[in-house]
Amino acid sequence: MNTAEARTWLLEQAAGRGVDLEVLGTSERKLTVESRDGKPSDVSMSESGGVGIRVVKDGRAGYAWSEELSEEALSWALDEAIANAELQEEGSTAVLPVGQAMGRHDLLDEGLSASLEAKKSAVIDFENVVSAQPKLQALQTARYSETQAEVEISSTQGTSGAYRSGYGMLMSAVVLREGDSVKQGYGLDVQQEFHKLDPGRTALDHVAKISRHLGARPLSTGRRRAIFEPEVTTTLLGLLTIGLSGKSLAEGKSLLAGKLGQKIASELITLTDDPLVDGGLANRPFDAEGTASQKLTIIDKGVFRSFMHNSDTAARTGQANTAHASRSYRSTLSVAPSNLMLEPGSGVTLTDGTIIVTDVMGVHAGANPITGDVSVQAMGLEVNGDELQSVDNFAISFNLLNLLEHVEQVGDDFEWKPGFSGIIGAPSIAVSDLSFGGS
Amino acid sequence: MLATDSYASLLDQGKQAGADFAEIYVERWRRRHLRTVDARVAEATSGIQLGAGVRLFFGQDVIYGYTNDLSEAALSELVASLARLKGSPEGRPDASGAGGIDLRRLDAGPDIHAPGVPFESHDKLWRLERLRELDAGARIGPEVRQVEAQLMEWEQDVWIANSEGTFAEDRRVRTRLVGHVIASDGTSTQTGHVGPGKSMGLELLDQFDPADVGKRAAQMAMNNLRATPVPAGTMPVVMGSGFGGVIFHEALGHLLETTSVARNASALTDMIGEQVASPAVTYVDEGLSKHGWGSSRIDDEGAPTESTTLIRNGVLESYMVDRWGSLVTGYRATGSGRRQDYTYAPTSRMRNTIVERGDTPREKLFEGIDYGLYASSLGGGQVKPGSGEYNFAVTEGYLIRNGEIAEPVRGAMLLGKGPDSIKKIVAVSDDLSNEPGMCGSLSGSLPVEIGQPHLLVSELVVGGEA
Repeated sequence: MNTAEARTWLLEQAAGRGVDLEVLGTSERKLTVESRDGKPSDVSMSESGGVGIRVVKDGRAGYAWSEELSEEALSWALDEAIANAELQEEGSTAVLPVGQAMGRHDLLDEGLSASLEAKKSAVIDFENVVSAQPKLQALQTARYSETQAEVEISSTQGTSGAYRSGYGMLMSAVVLREGDSVKQGYGLDVQQEFHKLDPGRTALDHVAKISRHLGARPLSTGRRRAIFEPEVTTTLLGLLTIGLSGKSLAEGKSLLAGKLGQKIASELITLTDDPLVDGGLANRPFDAEGTASQKLTIIDKGVFRSFMHNSDTAARTGQANTAHASRSYRSTLSVAPSNLMLEPGSGVTLTDGTIIVTDVMGVHAGANPITGDVSVQAMGLEVNGDELQSVDNFAISFNLLNLLEHVEQVGDDFEWKPGFSGIIGAPSIAVSDLSFGGS
Repeated sequence: MLATDSYASLLDQGKQAGADFAEIYVERWRRRHLRTVDARVAEATSGIQLGAGVRLFFGQDVIYGYTNDLSEAALSELVASLARLKGSPEGRPDASGAGGIDLRRLDAGPDIHAPGVPFESHDKLWRLERLRELDAGARIGPEVRQVEAQLMEWEQDVWIANSEGTFAEDRRVRTRLVGHVIASDGTSTQTGHVGPGKSMGLELLDQFDPADVGKRAAQMAMNNLRATPVPAGTMPVVMGSGFGGVIFHEALGHLLETTSVARNASALTDMIGEQVASPAVTYVDEGLSKHGWGSSRIDDEGAPTESTTLIRNGVLESYMVDRWGSLVTGYRATGSGRRQDYTYAPTSRMRNTIVERGDTPREKLFEGIDYGLYASSLGGGQVKPGSGEYNFAVTEGYLIRNGEIAEPVRGAMLLGKGPDSIKKIVAVSDDLSNEPGMCGSLSGSLPVEIGQPHLLVSELVVGGEA
């Protein structure tokens, strides 16, 4: 069977099994071209996908998925989903939402329709510029990659809809050396349309971003004023999304539980999520349950206005569904932002002794999204008059909510960054007092 | 999954297109995941993962593609597409002149990791009861606010054939139990986490009593509740056994994978035979340990796994080498080609990496430390292999005062530059334990086991409260 046949077969089976059923199908095409020594070297391509199912039986929800679309495999998945549902407590009140026809949408259009030769040529140009940089010790990779995905959802409750999206990306990973100082890093440029990628400019930006850290000196332990560059700010907001999730709230794991309507951040902080923003990389006409997308204000001038919810977390917490259902076919229903955005401010000032935090490492291990406690390795630049001195071998430690409360300036240097929690855009932020652990 | 003839004809097609080497990797998984929060089912899901990856070498260039469609027509089209991507004219005669590929089945030996209690032995309710035992075991005090329990089951069948005539297959069965506890005293909230996993079936739950796993996670959370923020600074650190080995994993292990070495992107490139660590250190990447979380009988390139001594008495003896790494560097392949699944081409990766036990009694490590940190339990970390800069988080820690373990501290992040830190390991104790983890790198997220005795590092940067 293909995905469409599998969907039809599963929906037909639902009535006979006495369950409400939802099918989420995804098909994905990927292409990656690497360049080495001025010619395309490693290339990869793929076409893959699968179906994820959610069943609700007597108020109990269960999940399963399959990449194998034989009748035998789908039948196994359906049996498993029902058995998984039956593990839920009696008296559970899960409901498959009643939906509507959401139509078919093509968000990608001709964005990636350039020829393979044009893509190979772009990545060769990209590599040539990176390779020409005088401080380059090693080029780990210079690559172009693209993903096109089509998501289709249907249910026995009337939901139907599909959309296609995609992006192209240039990525480099390099090791730079100057004397005994060695620095490693990577850079990404992601665009929805291939022709918006600028290989030469991107290559120079990537190398410059890492190069400024050569010759770093160790930083001593102490408390200092700090500015987080936009990319670091987006990492912090990525951590915050876990607390903003209605699923975390419903499971008693949100650090923002009980704080709706309260001031949780500086008045300079306004955070929104907009799945329909013009040119947004994570746009979606509807969420993973087929609920129509809408812009959401999460924090308004420091006041916490809303969690992000899907139908299930909204029902369990008694709050409104904000159309933030998220699910890949392999996962269960969750919550995720689309294009999360911290509004820019009027700028940050560089004062002597301030550390500009340019990179954080070890966030998956050193940050606890349940408590908000963060202790992570960092790199930065120390402001000294007109000079910026690179500093490294230190860690920064803070509590996320405490940090947001003490933001004293917000920059006007807004940037979008792809991260683990979707697409996040932010400017720099400044705090007057941060803990630095070093030598 | 495929007929032997199909493998041979697809490989032949790859060679005919001018590839120097062709490989087909086919896999099918069944996965199950059950998660409870406060003894109620929060998540129950099951899935079938199925796909094939085709890899062609043209000199040192690697072309890789994958699909879920395992029909012969689809796979043949994939090989043809890959050849077109390379720009290689189809139908070009095999450069070696050899016709046809004669596949020989690899004898991977007895399956020493075979499950003792297969997944079919028990129903879902039995599993739920085990998770409820974990939950009950964790309820050690009124501060325990929430208990999350998870059971993960993976059954993976792989078939690998290549144009050198290798045909290998393996079944990997893995089970992991995780307890995660949130404790709160009204003003502060802290967490604890324990997660044993092995290449075995449900006998894991006999070897690691769920109630005890829950209790240990709760003890860690309660301990962190009592702990005060760690003072930041540079100080001597005693690393705990087991997952304490994450210091080696980050500071050294990743630097010894040919993925980085072959690109001159490791701080330890071209250092075979050199003293890279204290003579107290012998470091082994063990692919053979029975039921090891990172064990398998063959690697994901169809080569038998082995025990590879990386560092003996401080001297670098071997890197971890996959097929591509061997081709580029000339080092012997060590059965280290691994991948998360068919969506990744394999690269050189760690399996079960272990620091061998030393001869210093554990208590002696603390003697003479006026002020330092005992990092008794560690979380994950991260490294940049080219510069060697690494970090990892302490999930349970204590200050050392006057040679004795003193008050608990939390929020410590240890960091440094790998080769430099490893030379500062001055003593290795005579105990040893292993723990499982997931390691993320170029070829995806993989199960690895980490093991070490307690060891003393003369000086590390401790991130904390200044």
